[in-house]
Amino acid sequence: MRRTALITILSLTGILLASMACAVILGPASSSPGALFALPNAWKIFWDVRLPRVIVAALVGCALAVAGTAMQGLFRNSMADPYIIGTSSGGALGATLSIVLFAGTGRPVFAFIGATVATFTVYTIARQGGKVPVETLLLSGVALSMLLSAFLSFLMYTAGKSLHQIMFWLMGGFWNVSWDDVRIAILIPIGCLVIYLYARDINIISLGEEDAIHLGVNVERLKQLLLFASAFLTGIAVSIAGAIGFIGLITPHVMRLIVGPDHRILLPAAALAGGILLLWSDTITRTFAGDMPVGIITACFGAPFFIYLLRSRMKA
Amino acid sequence: MKPVEVIGIDVSYGAKKVLEAISLHVERGEILGIIGPNGSGKTTLIKAMSRIVAPENGEVHLNDRNLDSFSFRELAQQVAVVPQEISIGFDYTVRDIVMMGRHPYIGRLSSGTARDLEVCDRAMHLANVAHLAGSSVNEISGGERQRVLIARALAQEPKILLLDEATSNLDISHRIEILNIIRSLTDEITVISVFHDLNLAAYYCDRLIMLKDRQVFAVGEPRDVLTQETLNAVYGIDALVKTHPLTGKPYILPVYGHTADHQPEEEGVHVICGGGTGSDLLYALHREGFGVSTGVLNLLDTDYAAATALGIPCITEAPFAAISPDARDNLRRCIDAAYAVVVTAMPIGQGNIENIRILKDYRDKPIILLCGGANPSFQDYVGGEAEAIIRELLDRGAVTAGRIDEVLQVLERMD
Repeated sequence: MRRTALITILSLTGILLASMACAVILGPASSSPGALFALPNAWKIFWDVRLPRVIVAALVGCALAVAGTAMQGLFRNSMADPYIIGTSSGGALGATLSIVLFAGTGRPVFAFIGATVATFTVYTIARQGGKVPVETLLLSGVALSMLLSAFLSFLMYTAGKSLHQIMFWLMGGFWNVSWDDVRIAILIPIGCLVIYLYARDINIISLGEEDAIHLGVNVERLKQLLLFASAFLTGIAVSIAGAIGFIGLITPHVMRLIVGPDHRILLPAAALAGGILLLWSDTITRTFAGDMPVGIITACFGAPFFIYLLRSRMKA
Repeated sequence: MKPVEVIGIDVSYGAKKVLEAISLHVERGEILGIIGPNGSGKTTLIKAMSRIVAPENGEVHLNDRNLDSFSFRELAQQVAVVPQEISIGFDYTVRDIVMMGRHPYIGRLSSGTARDLEVCDRAMHLANVAHLAGSSVNEISGGERQRVLIARALAQEPKILLLDEATSNLDISHRIEILNIIRSLTDEITVISVFHDLNLAAYYCDRLIMLKDRQVFAVGEPRDVLTQETLNAVYGIDALVKTHPLTGKPYILPVYGHTADHQPEEEGVHVICGGGTGSDLLYALHREGFGVSTGVLNLLDTDYAAATALGIPCITEAPFAAISPDARDNLRRCIDAAYAVVVTAMPIGQGNIENIRILKDYRDKPIILLCGGANPSFQDYVGGEAEAIIRELLDRGAVTAGRIDEVLQVLERMD
């Protein structure tokens, strides 16, 4: 068990690094190392455009996957995800506010605040007698997401921004990523590490809150900490790349099938897989799809997956 | 210093009171059972002792220390809880789950020492789940999953074990298996457990606390708490409380259906029975509203217990003693007063021969022999005298009945 877990983690690390190397080479302007360096502005494309974008895409994927994994464990509910329960919309609205009001100053902070407020709001609405039932969690998440997206669109529209930009925040993308964004994205591993320190606690709380108390977990504090940390990761991710959906839903699910439910292994596995998944989604959209919002790609495979989960849940 | 002491706690869920002024204590190494009907607050009491719910008033103490002063980790090192059942959403292995019991001992940056693994292995061995260590908790049976939860609780190395109907969903063999495991632990662990099954509670508990309407109704040893009166007052049932022939503990036999809700008639039937041959007849007569008396029975006889439970007047004799002249006089008075006598197919020896010998004096009294057929056979331990008396009664016109409803028909015709 331990060995297979270790092998999985090492393989995923290898795949992620290889993917990053491939992604740097691939792009609309080139499809091989030779072609890349034959370009007149090769260095600029490599260093200023592709490398930061690849790093950020991988880190944002990590952030969303780890936030999704933590939420699924916390809510004992494998359909939780920062996009579905409204965290991402909260972050996007926060980022939009900073753009409309302060010309983008403090964007990550606003996104974090927006994500946190949205998360705790949904949690409070969905909570019934100490439990968070799937149905109410999903419904209140969807309802709040719609409301926040409407606010966001309204703000952008009245501020005279283009539909393109509204679309960016709603669907997510990595168009204008620069080294400044990498500097913000560096906070992502820190957030992941904080959650990882509580991996064993997440294992226990995934059995139920009362059980977790019996086993010595300070449940209220753990919930706050995990919700904050998840909102932190999502806020950073959204402030860089907009609200990208379904990475936080799919990755933990698939990884749980491969490495099992133990969060000490599941969290790093999901982080790596989330990075790989989003990196490839972004590489596909910018290389083959005219750089459309990457959220369209993730929704294309994420939404059917979500429906599949709903169906299998109903059967069970 | 008591392992657990509950001092006058009140608990409410919102506006609804669930527990009122509950006080109790438990001695070291004891098994204390909590019993009471649904909604009497048993589970809430367990939750108050494990700090899942906070009492409005009153305090819970562990070893003279207020429960509130414990950190979550400290508390989990002292108290382990086995819930009724849990649904585990993710596919953890049995070992994963049991190892979670070590959580309160393992530091944030550590993943457990060799000792943690050792304790975990011992707990799985004790709870008889070691062979399942690698299986998924969702692929094993309910009984096995319950044993896994017990192993997890043992891995906490608790001083106090709280069980919330931990065996209610299991079949009888698994219940006994699990309760035997738990009882074998009481050298080191004090146990407080909610029970639905009163007979299991009576057997396994040193003391019982009986809740009714959010309050403590009775506390004490099982034989003092489980009586006909308390069962009637708390559960609203009629039940016979007997002594288990092998364990000497009380056990409860509910009386199913209605007992007489009308006053029995003045004029009645006298039943001569013994050795358990008359219990069901007494119950049937009582249910149908006949005035009934019985005897002479000795105090250890199951028919005596049945008569007492039903409130039927009974002439008694000391255990193993022959019928005394006093008792015989009483018997004569009862038979004089009755309009008919029913004799069941009891074993007859020197001790109770007087019961039928006396019938020879009643030439005109209707006598019914309940003996499973036209040719009555009694187990005769007095060298033929009983057989002779029965034959004489039959010659004089005694009626035989094969079943209880035939007896009832005969009696109704006389009425």
